[in-house]
Amino acid sequence: MKPTSARTPRKTAWATGLTAVALVLPLAACSTGDGTPTSDEPRTHLVYATGDGEPSCLDPHVGGNFPQALLATQVLESLVALDTEGTIVPWLASSWTVSDDGLTWEFTLRDGATFSDGTPVDAEAVKVNIEHLQDPDTGSSTGYLAVRQVAAAEVVAADVVRFTLTRPDAALLESLAQPWVAMQSPAGIARGMDENCLAPIGSGPFIIDEWVKQDRIELVRNAEYTTSPDGIGAPDAAAAETLTWRFIPDATARFAALEAGQVDIIDNPLPEQITVAENSEDLAHLDAPRPGASNRIELNTSTVPFDDQRVREAFIASANVDAGLETLFEGWAPRSTSALSSREPLAVQSPEAYVTDPELANALLDEAGWTERDDDGIRTKDGQRLTARFPVTGAQSTQAEQALFEQIQAGAREVGFDVQITLLDLSSWYGALGAYEYEMVSAPYTKIGPDVLRFLYHSDATVPAPSGYFANNAQVKDPELDALLDTIGTSMDVEERDAAARAAQEWIANASIILPIYDQQNHFLYRGDLSEFRALPTVNTPWLGTVIAG
Amino acid sequence: MTGEGWWWRAAARVGGAVAVLVTVATLAFVALQFIPGDPAEAALGGPGSQASAAALEAARAEFGLDRPILTQYFDFMWRLLRGDLGVSYAQRIPVSEVLGNAIGPTLLLTFTALLLAWALALVSVVIASGHSRRARSVASALDLTAAAMPNFWLASLLVLLFASVLGWFPPVSTGGFSGIVLPALALAIPTAGFLAQVCRAGVDAARTAPFIESARARGETELGIRVRHVMRHGLVPGLNLTAWALGSLLGGAAVIEVIFARPGLGRTLVTGVLGRDVPVVLGVVLFSACAYVVVALVTDLVISRVDPRTESRLAQAVPRA
Repeated sequence: MKPTSARTPRKTAWATGLTAVALVLPLAACSTGDGTPTSDEPRTHLVYATGDGEPSCLDPHVGGNFPQALLATQVLESLVALDTEGTIVPWLASSWTVSDDGLTWEFTLRDGATFSDGTPVDAEAVKVNIEHLQDPDTGSSTGYLAVRQVAAAEVVAADVVRFTLTRPDAALLESLAQPWVAMQSPAGIARGMDENCLAPIGSGPFIIDEWVKQDRIELVRNAEYTTSPDGIGAPDAAAAETLTWRFIPDATARFAALEAGQVDIIDNPLPEQITVAENSEDLAHLDAPRPGASNRIELNTSTVPFDDQRVREAFIASANVDAGLETLFEGWAPRSTSALSSREPLAVQSPEAYVTDPELANALLDEAGWTERDDDGIRTKDGQRLTARFPVTGAQSTQAEQALFEQIQAGAREVGFDVQITLLDLSSWYGALGAYEYEMVSAPYTKIGPDVLRFLYHSDATVPAPSGYFANNAQVKDPELDALLDTIGTSMDVEERDAAARAAQEWIANASIILPIYDQQNHFLYRGDLSEFRALPTVNTPWLGTVIAG
Repeated sequence: MTGEGWWWRAAARVGGAVAVLVTVATLAFVALQFIPGDPAEAALGGPGSQASAAALEAARAEFGLDRPILTQYFDFMWRLLRGDLGVSYAQRIPVSEVLGNAIGPTLLLTFTALLLAWALALVSVVIASGHSRRARSVASALDLTAAAMPNFWLASLLVLLFASVLGWFPPVSTGGFSGIVLPALALAIPTAGFLAQVCRAGVDAARTAPFIESARARGETELGIRVRHVMRHGLVPGLNLTAWALGSLLGGAAVIEVIFARPGLGRTLVTGVLGRDVPVVLGVVLFSACAYVVVALVTDLVISRVDPRTESRLAQAVPRA
């Protein structure tokens, strides 16, 4: 068949091509103009975009996870706070006393503090909050742990509340500083869980206005706000009036939105994005690692092969963590050699315990009897392969961290380990841990103070919670360590407690039960024209109450 | 066609649809029993809860999770019959409300994507219906590339080009219309590739068919031939594919909604599955099955209009040759 005209098809092709472009192009004109600011006046509106999940309930007493803590920091306040040195400072409680036996605590509340609904922050309110946390129907899984030792909270005077404890709790103040134990208006709690979940009422710098699920939470400034913690000033008159809290799960989209000026602050950036921001005049970077435990790989000491200390030492010596950190994290994640976050004043680094030395690793494995090698080059002993199952979840480990684990896996393979990494979703991952289907695991744990070591490595922490969860993934049960951890938990003698915290870390380093990697990473990127943006030095959630935009 | 025959066929059709929905509901219910994780934890801050025994018991009792699994199943089916999808474990609001908030944005996204996909596919098919061999091979190569592109990768590419470099569109949803362009394109382009590819086969067959020669002999213009005969022939397989395309767009929406931070069913499903929020997952699955069944039905009707052969075949109940 001959073409009747050679030009027609090309013309039509062009015409249709143009139609397609014409379909798309006019839409470009509609794109929002809320990008780069043009005036010198500070913007009254602030947009925060989080990569953490969207909470199902905004009241951090219910459940109690990190996404809730991020938002609660803008709305609710705790009895005490931490300063940048890690020292406990007053917040809603202006002062406190403790009896000599450590069993009775009295908190005097700040003069004139009120919740945003006008209810006073008084002793009665604190009592209601403690009881709310302890009520099984609240379904608290984090906050109730903090007040578990509180047998009773009673009103002594309008502004004095007394806690009676079942045992001395040296970590009580550190526990009370956490956002999951923040104070809410009793009138808000009385509305019932359904309503309180949508908009808990606090005394913080912002008030929840509207929650458009799966999209955003709109907040407005608390005009009456006066109770910022010691060390953080009151908001300036120019501070942002309204705050939009957005959920943008994808890291690339989140950063693109920041670059485009669609949002002002993002969390959970990728290492390469931090580098871009650091080299950009328009963007800024805040590094605020979380307190509590460092991020570490824990070795299951209750079973083969890591029940043998020589094998644990060999694994640690095979891992070249520093090289991985340098390439994968572009230098933004400094190495840790402690079980505690470097944010903890009592953290002790033990670099000598975590030296890379493949030759030593080989010698130790030979000594431990893993002398044979199979066809894959994996060591064997009595016909058993040197296998270590390593369940990993994307919900806890970033892409870069997963890549780091693969490098550690490759290093271990060089000396004859078969590390089997399995990528799981969060529920399945907890399922694998609960069924003891792991020889190594990396599980972050956020808590303030050295008492986190007791949560992680006390023999009591090998006993599963009713949900099957246990925190002692290394399965350590050692009377000497338990005694040190008990001292951290109960001793009211500061020097004795500090010494025990140091000794416990030393014990952990010597026993080679963990491979510390870095502090729990917590970076923020924000528009360079923001001022007064910081992280609240409790669990380093963003503090937006004082931010001036532009 | 007789009235009785039509009613019989319609009843069979509806019965089939109900059977599909019951099967889907059952399969989804069973599948959710097999994935690890305790649904009660959905109400207690998510997986890995350290909640007390009392709190865990209270949550289980609240959602009836302490009853035997068969009782839970029949209770679920019975409630479903009455149109009650239950209450979300995590959000503690009726599932119908959760879906109600999510359906609108997803339908807007998928239908915009479907329109865009058809528009792009038509462009490619029109080019292919012509005579230029070069244009045809370029279009064919583009279709193949488009069809092979994973939508999450395409999404990142579109964000990089149109949001970061050119700055034409916002990288994440704004709630306004400009925010829908990139996600809709990310969904539409691979689908357009598939649509264009299947249409091209029909177009190629039609171009050389004898009825084209006779149309030409009747004095039809080249454009008329192309639109009225070649295209019409070529579109049937594409239309047949539309029900599938909608299903794939709904599936793709799960990824695209997360990337572009849009509210919608896909995002609801992802959150529901990760948090073991069983009633929400079942609700989304059932809605998707419903949508699929309805679209398949509508497509059949549209095809019978475009291709009269199908209509007469349906009327005479003659099996396909």
